[in-house]
Amino acid sequence: MPVSSQPRIIIFTSSSCPWCNRVKQYLREKRFRFREVNVERDADGARELRRRNIKGVPVVLINNKPIIGFDKAKIDKLLPIR
Amino acid sequence: MERLAAARITARRQKVTRYEVIIIGGGPAGLTAGLYTSRAGLRSLLIERGMFGGQMANATLVENYPGFPEGIAGPELGLLMHQQAVRYGLEEITTEVTGLTLTQGQLYGVSTAEGDFEAAAIIIAAGSEYRKLGVSGEETFSGRGISYCATCDGFFFRDQEVAVVGGGDTAITDALELSRHASKVYVIHRRDQLRAGKALQEQAFAHPKLEFIWDTVVDELLGNKVLEELKLRNVKTGQQSTLKVDGLFVAVGLMPNSHIFFDILDLDDAGYIITDEMMATSLPGIFAAGDIRRNSPRQIAAAVGDGVTAAMSGFKYIQEQGNGIRTANPQADGKS
Repeated sequence: MPVSSQPRIIIFTSSSCPWCNRVKQYLREKRFRFREVNVERDADGARELRRRNIKGVPVVLINNKPIIGFDKAKIDKLLPIR
Repeated sequence: MERLAAARITARRQKVTRYEVIIIGGGPAGLTAGLYTSRAGLRSLLIERGMFGGQMANATLVENYPGFPEGIAGPELGLLMHQQAVRYGLEEITTEVTGLTLTQGQLYGVSTAEGDFEAAAIIIAAGSEYRKLGVSGEETFSGRGISYCATCDGFFFRDQEVAVVGGGDTAITDALELSRHASKVYVIHRRDQLRAGKALQEQAFAHPKLEFIWDTVVDELLGNKVLEELKLRNVKTGQQSTLKVDGLFVAVGLMPNSHIFFDILDLDDAGYIITDEMMATSLPGIFAAGDIRRNSPRQIAAAVGDGVTAAMSGFKYIQEQGNGIRTANPQADGKS
């Protein structure tokens, strides 16, 4: 897949979050590039989630659409992964 | 043998990678089984859908696995077990198993999103996952106040009031973890005593931030955009009440990841795979180990023991079969 065609992906994480690692590992395997925002260290990131009424990680933001948790089915649908 | 006939028979497809043993699940049971089958010289593939370590990877500190007197972080223990198994030649692939079938020639076929595999023996160590509460509002507020992972999300509730539902080791560990962030942690449990280990109980009862709500279940979750309030019911008196909280952490036990096996293996009413003491299931050549097995104590050390037994049973089964699986397809692409 050409890199330019991939959607913009941001993953919000916290420092001790096994599910965040799973999401990152999954997207790496599927060869998607993403930006990680650790909300424990990044106050802007934490504010961004609060603004969206989200109180949990991981959150995968795909073209500004949030998927809360490691919801593989939703991620596959939005990316799309076959 | 009618169980064999009952299993779906599929024609062998052309591009199938063949192993002697396929292990489904990369938690402590699967990794140990893989260590033993690899060391026994069996060509072994381990299929894991998420992260090696399984449920153990969610544990901040494992204090009851022998050999680590100071405790060890769950993810680290998973990593070490994984390293050890791979060192002896265990092959691995990260993908989800979608089906298990009997193919021609007494082999089992394992279908995954990444292709099909075959093996003479299968060890199912797919474990369990968190059970949901199953009440109204749970889906809506998931990630908006409802959480299933205290280590992941505790941070969001700094100086706020939260509740944990459950009374087992996980619930109490979560409550103690949350007390580092939250100003108050309620523990809501449907019984009048905890199932959690004595050491954890003592810590919990002595903790100034923890408050216990006994004999109580959560009936409904209420809020506008985010979770704000719990509707509670005392199971002994039937009395209803509400509790204002900013977050609710669900730790009400586990359920087995056995749904893809229900039509070919004997499961108990709760969905756990029925095995004998050699980890044999209702089909010859298929073994089960760890949390997914009926009557498993669901402990890492027990899963490790099951993994050993299942691997040895698998080895014995293959020797008895002697069906020349060793002529593995040379074009096989291990895809790791």
